[in-house]
Amino acid sequence: MLTRRGFLKAGGLSLFGVGLMGGIPAFIAEAAASEKRSRLYKGKKTLVCIFQRGAMDGLMAVTPFTDEYLKKARPSLFMSAAKNGGNGALIDLDGHFGLHPAMRGFERAFRDKQLAIVHGIGSPNTTRSHFDAQDYMESGTPFSKSTSSGWLNRAAGLLGHDAATPFTAVSLTSAMPRSFYGDNPALAISSLQDFAIQMRGNPAGANLAAKSFEDLYDQTASGLLQQTGRESFEAVKMLQKTDVKNYKPANGVNYPNSALGNSLKQIAQLIKMNVGLEIAFAESNGWDTHFNQGTANGVFARNVTDLSESIMAFWHDLGTLQDDVVVMSMTEFGRTVHENGTGGTDHGRASCNFILGNDVAGGKVHGKLDMLAVENLEDGRDLAVTTDFRSVFSEVVDKHLLLKNDKILFPDWKGRGIGVMNA
Amino acid sequence: MKKYVKYISAIAVALLFVMPLSAFFSANNYGAYAIKFPYAAAGLSKQQAAAHLLSRFTYGATPGQIDEVANEGLEKWFAAQLDAKLPDDSLNQMLKAYDAMELSNAEVVEQYPKNGQVLRRAVKDGALNKDSVKTDRKQYRDALADYMEKNGLKPERELFRQFINQKVMRAAYTNNQLQEVMTSFWFNHFNVSITKGNCAQFVPAYERDVIRPNALGSFGDMLLATAQAPAMLYYLDNFSSTGEKAPGMTNQRPKRMSADTTMMATPPKKKKAGGLNENYAREVMELHTLGVDGGYTQKDVTEAARILTGWTIYPLGQYNAQAKNAVTKLNDQQLERRGFVHEGDFLFAANKHDGGTKTVLGKQFKTNGYQEGVDLLGMLANHPSTAKFISRKLAVRFVSDNPPQTLVDKMAKTFLASKGNIKQVLITMVNAPEFWAKDAVREKTKSPFELAIGSVRGLDATVTQPYQLYNWINKMGEKVYYYQAPTGFPDKGQFWINTGSLLSRMNFGLALTSGRIPGVKVNLKALNNNHEPESAKAALATYCKLILPERDPAATIKRLTPLLNDPQLVEKVNNASAKVAPKTTDAITGADSTIRRETKKQNRAAMQANNNSAMLAQVAGIIIGSPEYQRR
Repeated sequence: MLTRRGFLKAGGLSLFGVGLMGGIPAFIAEAAASEKRSRLYKGKKTLVCIFQRGAMDGLMAVTPFTDEYLKKARPSLFMSAAKNGGNGALIDLDGHFGLHPAMRGFERAFRDKQLAIVHGIGSPNTTRSHFDAQDYMESGTPFSKSTSSGWLNRAAGLLGHDAATPFTAVSLTSAMPRSFYGDNPALAISSLQDFAIQMRGNPAGANLAAKSFEDLYDQTASGLLQQTGRESFEAVKMLQKTDVKNYKPANGVNYPNSALGNSLKQIAQLIKMNVGLEIAFAESNGWDTHFNQGTANGVFARNVTDLSESIMAFWHDLGTLQDDVVVMSMTEFGRTVHENGTGGTDHGRASCNFILGNDVAGGKVHGKLDMLAVENLEDGRDLAVTTDFRSVFSEVVDKHLLLKNDKILFPDWKGRGIGVMNA
Repeated sequence: MKKYVKYISAIAVALLFVMPLSAFFSANNYGAYAIKFPYAAAGLSKQQAAAHLLSRFTYGATPGQIDEVANEGLEKWFAAQLDAKLPDDSLNQMLKAYDAMELSNAEVVEQYPKNGQVLRRAVKDGALNKDSVKTDRKQYRDALADYMEKNGLKPERELFRQFINQKVMRAAYTNNQLQEVMTSFWFNHFNVSITKGNCAQFVPAYERDVIRPNALGSFGDMLLATAQAPAMLYYLDNFSSTGEKAPGMTNQRPKRMSADTTMMATPPKKKKAGGLNENYAREVMELHTLGVDGGYTQKDVTEAARILTGWTIYPLGQYNAQAKNAVTKLNDQQLERRGFVHEGDFLFAANKHDGGTKTVLGKQFKTNGYQEGVDLLGMLANHPSTAKFISRKLAVRFVSDNPPQTLVDKMAKTFLASKGNIKQVLITMVNAPEFWAKDAVREKTKSPFELAIGSVRGLDATVTQPYQLYNWINKMGEKVYYYQAPTGFPDKGQFWINTGSLLSRMNFGLALTSGRIPGVKVNLKALNNNHEPESAKAALATYCKLILPERDPAATIKRLTPLLNDPQLVEKVNNASAKVAPKTTDAITGADSTIRRETKKQNRAAMQANNNSAMLAQVAGIIIGSPEYQRR
C-alpha cells in the first residue's frame, strides 16, 4: 500500500497540481508516469469474471439432450437437438450436450477450442438462497459467513507486485460487488466517463474543487472514506489521458446495448489503454426464472443471447490482445431438474459455467453429469454438484494470472483443478 | 422557566424514592410512551444529542432545527414523531400534483397499462394493424399515441415518475420525518422492485397502503399485509403457486372434483395448470422474519409454500380476464361459502390450496384453508429468531453498521414482549445508552438518498423537479425502487462508498450549490440571513457551521484555507464561472445608447454578484462533498 502511494507521488502523477500551478508540462509528467508504470506492471494478463445473478438454469443453457429423464422432468421446457427442430433446435456440441439455440455466438468459439464449459459446477454448501449462495461464492468460503473479503480481492493481493495503478481490479458496476470487498484496492465504476470532478465550462473551478476534495479525503479520520477517496483521485488522474467518450470498438464490433454489453465494452477500453487492469468484474441480471422461463424464445433465451453476444463482441474487439485475456462466467446455483407449475424452475444446486481464452482447454464440456434419474439427484430433485466451483476458479487464476497461493484464495479448500486450462 | 424545570425534576427524584417503578416511568411519559434519553451520561450536550437524534430519525436537520428540538425537549420531539400526526399542509398541497398516487390498483391497471397490454388492446380494437407496425415505426408510434390519448391511457413510466417524485417530496418536506424514514426502512426490508415487470405497476400502492400505514405499527400486521399485496405476490411469485392436492370444492361442485382427479392422473396439458412455487415461502423466512440463521430447513420452506398455496390476487381490471370470469361472477358471500377470502386486491383461492396437513418448524398445521397462512405468518412474526433479526436490522439502520449485541438483545426482548410493536422497539433502542455512545455518533454513512435529501433539507432548497434529484441519487448508486434482489439495499457504508460513487457525491455537492440541478433551487445567502461573507475564507467558516452544525470544522477549514487564499486561483474560478453563468439581464437590441450603457452597468454589477456567489457556491459544494458530510 505504501509503495503504491509512494509510486504515485514520485511518478509526478499529481496532474491537478500541474495544471493549476503551472509547473512541469503535463505531457512530460505523463510520459514519466507511463514509463514508470510499465516497469511496475509485471502481470499483463487480465481475468474477466461475469456473475450471472439469480442462478442460471445450466440444464437449459447446456442441455444433456440424450437424457430421457430430463425430457420427462421438463415436458414444456425441454428442447431437442434434432435437425428438424428448426430454430428451436439445440446446437449439438458432442452428441450428448446441446447449446441453447440463442447462443449461436458461442458455437464457433467452442469449435475453435477457445470456449470451455464446466457442467455440474456449484458450491458444496447446499443453501438455495440467492443471497447466501452468492455470498459464499463471492467470499470463496462456502462454510464461513464471517469472511469479510471477496475472493477476487484476495486474488488482487496475490498478484505478486504492489498495485501500481488504481485499475488493478475494476468492477463495472455502480456498487462494489461482494467478490471485491476487502483490503486490496479495488474500483467500482458504472461509467468511465463519470470519472472526473465536473463543473461544466469551469475547468478552473473543477480543478480547485478536485484539489480541495483530494486534500480533505486524504486527511479524514474515517478509514473507509480516506482509502476510497485516495483511490478515486488516483483513478481520475489516469483516466484523464484518453478520450473515453468516443471509443470505437475494433473489427467493426457492435456490443449489445445492454448492461453487460456496456460493462464489457468499457473493460475492453481499459485493457487497450494499458492502465494495468488485471481483474475485471461485470454482472448479468435476471436469471431467476421461476415463471414462464421460455424455451427457444422468452426470458431465458433473451438472457443467453445477451450473455453470448456481449462476450463474443468483447472477444472480437480485443483482437490481438486475446492472448492476454480469459473470460469466466459464474452463477450462484442451478435450478430444479423438474420444471415447476408455472413454466419455470425453482432454486436448485449445480449449474454450468463458461470459460473463454486462448490458454483454455476449450471445445469440451468438462465435469461430470450423471443421468438425471431421481436416485442421482441431490435431495431427489436437483442436479448434483460434482465440481466444486473453487477447483475451477483456482485453476483459472493459477494458470492465467500465475497466482500460486490457494490457501489465501480459498482458505478451507484442498482440492485440485480439473484441467479446464491448458497445461 | 429553568427554575420550574428544576422544581419538577426535584419532585421526580423525590418520587423515585417513595413510588413504585411504574410511577417513575410516568414522570417521563410522553403521550403513551415511556421515554428517557441517557445522552448526558454518554457525555453529549443537549445540542449534540439533538443533532444525533435528528441524524438518525430524519433525512437531515433543517436550518435551526437542532436548536428547536433542544429547546422543545428531545423526548417530546421523539414522541411526536412516533405519533406521526404533525400537520403537513404545505406538503399535501405539493403532492396534489401527483394525481396517479390516488389511484387504486385496479384503476392503475386501467389507466397505466403495460406497453404490451396497450398494443394488444389497440390491435383488438382495430386502431393498429399489427403487420404494418413492423414496417413503419413512426406511423406505429403515432397511431399508438393517438389510440392511448383517445382512450385515456397513459404510459406506465409516467406512473413511476409520479411515484418517485412524490417520494422525494415527502422525504424532503414532511414534518413526520420518522414515519417516512421508517417507510423507507420497511420498504427496503420487504423489498419489491419496479425491475420486475408484472409487479411494477403495483409498487406505488404497495408503499402507500401496505408499508407507510404500518411503518410505526405492528410488525405482524405489516407482514400479513405484505403477504397479501399484489406487488409482493407478483414479485416473489406466490400468486401463481397452487397446491398439488387441491381439494376442489367437493360439496358444492362434484363435477369440478372429477375434473381435478383426471388432472392428477395425467400430466397437465396447459402451461398454467398450476404447481408449487416456493420462492415467497423461502424469502419470507430468510429475509422478512427469521433470518438466514433463524433455524429453518428446506423442508420447512416447502411446507410453508404448501400452506400459502392459493394466496393470490383478485382479478384486477382487464388483467387476468379468464380468472376474472371464474371468480367475479360469484359475490363475496358465495365465495366465502366455498372457502374463498376476498379482501381488497387479495384473494385466497380455495380451489388452488393444498388441502393436506403441513408441518413448519415443528408445528403442525391441520387443513384449515386461509387461516393456515394467517397462523403461519403470525408464528413467524412472533418467533424469537424474528425478534433478533428485526432488532438487529433496526439497530444497524439507526445506530451503527456493527451495533452492540447488548443493544440488540434489549430490543429483541421488547419485540417479543410487545408482540412486535415497532414503536416500543424503537423506544427501547433510543432509551439505551448504546444509542448515545460516542462510537455510535456519526458512525453511519449516508446513503445517496439520505445525502441528496439531507442536502436539500440542510440548505433549505426549493425542489420543483424532484426527478432531477432522483437522477443524481441513482448515479450515486441507489436506484430507489429498482433494487432487483429481495434483500433490498445492504445497509452499510462499505456498500455505498466506492471510488466511482464517491466522485459522484462530490460532483453532486458542486452541482447542487451552483444551481446546476434543474428544478432544485438553493439560496445560500438566505441561509446566512442574507449576509454575504467578505471573503472565501469567511465563507468557509460561516458555511461549515451552517451545513455541518454541532461538528468541529477546524480540520476542514485548515485544509481548505491555503487554497482559498490563492487570489489568482479565486479569480480564475470566478472568471470561468461568469462566462457560463446565465445572464441576469436580457440582451437589449435597441439603438438607444443610454439604455445600452445602463445595461452594461447592470451586467457588470450582476457579474460581480455572480462572482461572489460562484465562490460561495464552490465553497458550499465542497462542504457537501466533503468526507465529514458523508457521515451522519
